Amino acid sequence: MANRTSRGLPAKLGLALCYVAFAGFVLFPLVWIFLMSIKNFGDIIAYPPRFVFAPTLSNYAEILFGSEAERASGQVPDLIKFLMNSVIISGGAVILSALIGIPAAYALARRRDTTSDKLRFTVLSFRFAPELVVILPLYVIYSRVGLYDTYVGMILVHQLITLPLMILILASFFRDMPIEIEEAARVDGAGIWTILTAIVVPIARPGIASAMMIAFIFSWNNMIFGLVLAGGNTRPVTMGILQAMTFDQIKWGVMAASAMVSAFPGMVAAVLFQKQITRGLTLGAVK
Amino acid sequence: MTKPAFYALLGPALVLLLSTTYPFLSGIYTSLTNQKLYTPATKFVGLGNYINLLETPLFWTGLANTLTYAAAALAIQLPLGLAFAILLDVPGRLQSFFRSTIVLPLLVPPVVAGLIWKTMMHPQSGVLNWLLAQVGIEPLSWLTSPHMAMASIILIDTWLFTPLATIILLAGLQSVSGEIVEAARIDGANAWQVIRHVKLPLLAPYLLLVALFRVSDSLKSLEIIYSTTKGGPLDATRTLHVMAYEEAYRWSSLGKAMTIVFVLWLVCYAISGVLLSFWQKQEAKSHGQ
Repeated sequence: MANRTSRGLPAKLGLALCYVAFAGFVLFPLVWIFLMSIKNFGDIIAYPPRFVFAPTLSNYAEILFGSEAERASGQVPDLIKFLMNSVIISGGAVILSALIGIPAAYALARRRDTTSDKLRFTVLSFRFAPELVVILPLYVIYSRVGLYDTYVGMILVHQLITLPLMILILASFFRDMPIEIEEAARVDGAGIWTILTAIVVPIARPGIASAMMIAFIFSWNNMIFGLVLAGGNTRPVTMGILQAMTFDQIKWGVMAASAMVSAFPGMVAAVLFQKQITRGLTLGAVK
Repeated sequence: MTKPAFYALLGPALVLLLSTTYPFLSGIYTSLTNQKLYTPATKFVGLGNYINLLETPLFWTGLANTLTYAAAALAIQLPLGLAFAILLDVPGRLQSFFRSTIVLPLLVPPVVAGLIWKTMMHPQSGVLNWLLAQVGIEPLSWLTSPHMAMASIILIDTWLFTPLATIILLAGLQSVSGEIVEAARIDGANAWQVIRHVKLPLLAPYLLLVALFRVSDSLKSLEIIYSTTKGGPLDATRTLHVMAYEEAYRWSSLGKAMTIVFVLWLVCYAISGVLLSFWQKQEAKSHGQ
């Protein structure tokens, strides 16, 4: 204990500097893009960079309500279309993953043997393959069967992200739940399906909600699937931003505002589900 | 749980996940043909694509870039992530605020992270060069110079993914039971000695987990590069995954693209397989205790 109080001023100062450097590195890029999104064009291109300026919401207005030309012709702004696509694809993918992933996770959690462990590692191994190994051949298959650039096709392929996440997070979550109630119900003659739907799911609702949220973010953040398998009808927001960037190099403010909007679900989740995110990001390997 | 119930509950998920073996196998077949993306006239060429690939100098550049990226990412992010984790392990209000901000980069889409940094790295008007100028350092060309581009990409990767290393290692540091820490404290150990002699030795499985996730992710990294340099300048950031994408969409040679993807897949499979088995052994050891 004596050591702690006698630690010198230089050491304390050094430690404080470490925290400042840490916070600066993590937060500066996000703060910077946020500032850019509320600057007008003149403030953005100013050099030296301006930290004090009159904020404007015009960039957000343009991406959410359309440019003047778009408003005049009654067109839906591109970003709104991309956002809708992402909501449909990621929302659909997460719902499908919940329906088939919850029973699977429950099975893996409540039957512990070598088969179960092997299956868990098989599910985990999906994360380690380069995505193109499956989605380039899928492009050919999708084109042939008419799934290319459709919501159904996109929702199906996003199972590669959302399903392993749901299964592994929830398996680790279910395993931590006390088994006594389930055993009592079984003694009373309840079947496995009844136990799952009437007892486990209601108790695990918060865990299921956070797993769904995390799966949603990871599906939302993905770009590669859209790059290969989505066309004009289903292009997700991560693709849309890139597209806007190539056609319109100069509109930094609009780009920054789009970046903020597309990163929004992740930011919200980071605040709400901070504890569960570690488990999600490591696929349940760490609690 | 009975075996039939087990398989009934798992069934739909297994069917869906294992159905990816069909595109996977058809991809292997494609890599043995000269298939083009838009024309179906296809000829079986055996191992021709693989032999051609090994004779292409650009392939070796791509392989070297891929391995450099993964090795550098791990070599930087493991110690940096550990340093962050140690800083955050200290109890306190400030630390608990930082613990909640550390996950922010991880939840930003990698494409968006690429765009944010590309903006900041702009050679003339970027804020990074301005910051450097404030401390008297010459402006850097970041993503636009062949010498610096890979380092810049790794910097972006480090911003985005060091938090992953941090939260895994933080979970490891905090998994050490309070009793052990308290016992060490009573024996006169200070905060640093507790970390160094009590907590670090117990961190092995967590370090392996970081290596597993970071190496396998950076071997197949595509989105950061795609949103910043697209493999340039002068192939300095052209990794195998980027090469495969370009081969498919720029040159529409699906057969050749699949060849590159499979070589990459083999590399990923071998390396992550080794790390995964190490980690499983560590896991088994700590569960056995």
